[in-house]
Amino acid sequence: MKQEELDNRLSEIEGELLGVERTADTRIFLSCESEKVYAVCKFLFEELQLRFVISTGVDAEHCFEVLHHFTNDESGCIVTVKAMIGDRETPELESIAPLIPGAEWIEREMHDILGINFRNHPNLRRLILDDDWPEGVYPLRKDVKV
Amino acid sequence: MNWKLWSLKKSIWVFHVNAGACNNCDIEIVNLLTPRFDVERFGIKLVGSPRHADALLVTGAGTRQAAVRLREVYRQTAKPCVVFCMGACACGTGIFEGGYHIAGPVDKIIKEVDPNAIIAYVPGCPPKPEAMISGVVKALSAL
Repeated sequence: MKQEELDNRLSEIEGELLGVERTADTRIFLSCESEKVYAVCKFLFEELQLRFVISTGVDAEHCFEVLHHFTNDESGCIVTVKAMIGDRETPELESIAPLIPGAEWIEREMHDILGINFRNHPNLRRLILDDDWPEGVYPLRKDVKV
Repeated sequence: MNWKLWSLKKSIWVFHVNAGACNNCDIEIVNLLTPRFDVERFGIKLVGSPRHADALLVTGAGTRQAAVRLREVYRQTAKPCVVFCMGACACGTGIFEGGYHIAGPVDKIIKEVDPNAIIAYVPGCPPKPEAMISGVVKALSAL
C-alpha cells in the first residue's frame, strides 16, 4: 500500500499505543504496553499485510526492550513495534510465533541470551547456546560477567 | 626419517573441521581444490572421514559447542597426524577473544586430548590459498 494509506491505517490504532515516534518519512516506532504487543502485531500483519522482518531484544538496564520490525513493501516503510518489559526478575511477553511462524527462532534466541519468557510460544527450546551452558545464565544481560 | 613417515608425507589426506568458522576460511579451503590451485597435484586430498586422514584442517575459533566435537574428531584421526589451524580465529580466537561462547583457541582444545600434538598455524582472515599451501609445505618439511 501507499505511504499515505499506511499512515491513515496506523492512526486507527493510535489509541492502543503509548506513543508514535517518527524518525523519518519511512521509519515509524510504535511504543505499546507489553500486553498489547500481540494485538498490534496482529493488526500490522493480518490487516495491513505488512511483512515481518526480524525482532530485536535489548537490555536497557532498567527494563528489557523487545522490538518487532515490520516492513511495507511498496513504500519501503519500516514499522517497529516497541515493547518495554519492566519486570527484570521474570521478564515475560506474549509470543507472536503462533501468528507469524517466522518469528519462532528469533524468539528462541532472545529467550536463550536475554532470558525473556515468551508466553504461548510453540517450542521454546534452547537454540544457540551450547548444550552444557548453565541454566539461568543469560550472556547478553548487562549484569552478567562471563 | 622412518619409512612410515616418509610414505605418509608423500600424499597427505586431509579432513576439514569447522569449529565455529564464519565460512570464509572454509571457502578458501574449497578454493584449494579447484583447478586454479588444484592441491591434488601434490597428493593432498580432502577425505570424508577423520579415520582416513593424515591431517586436520581446522577453521574457526573453537566454540564451546564445537570443542567437544573437535576433541572427538582428533581422537578418531589416525596417528601420526598434523593439525592445521587455518585462519586468525583458529590460531588465537581472533576478534572473538574472551567471548562467552569461546572454548578455544584450537591448539588449546587439541592439547587437552594430546599435549604432544603436532600443530601448524596459518594466520590470515582468511589466509590466501597460496599461504595455506605454503603452510602445509613448511609443516611437512619440519617433520
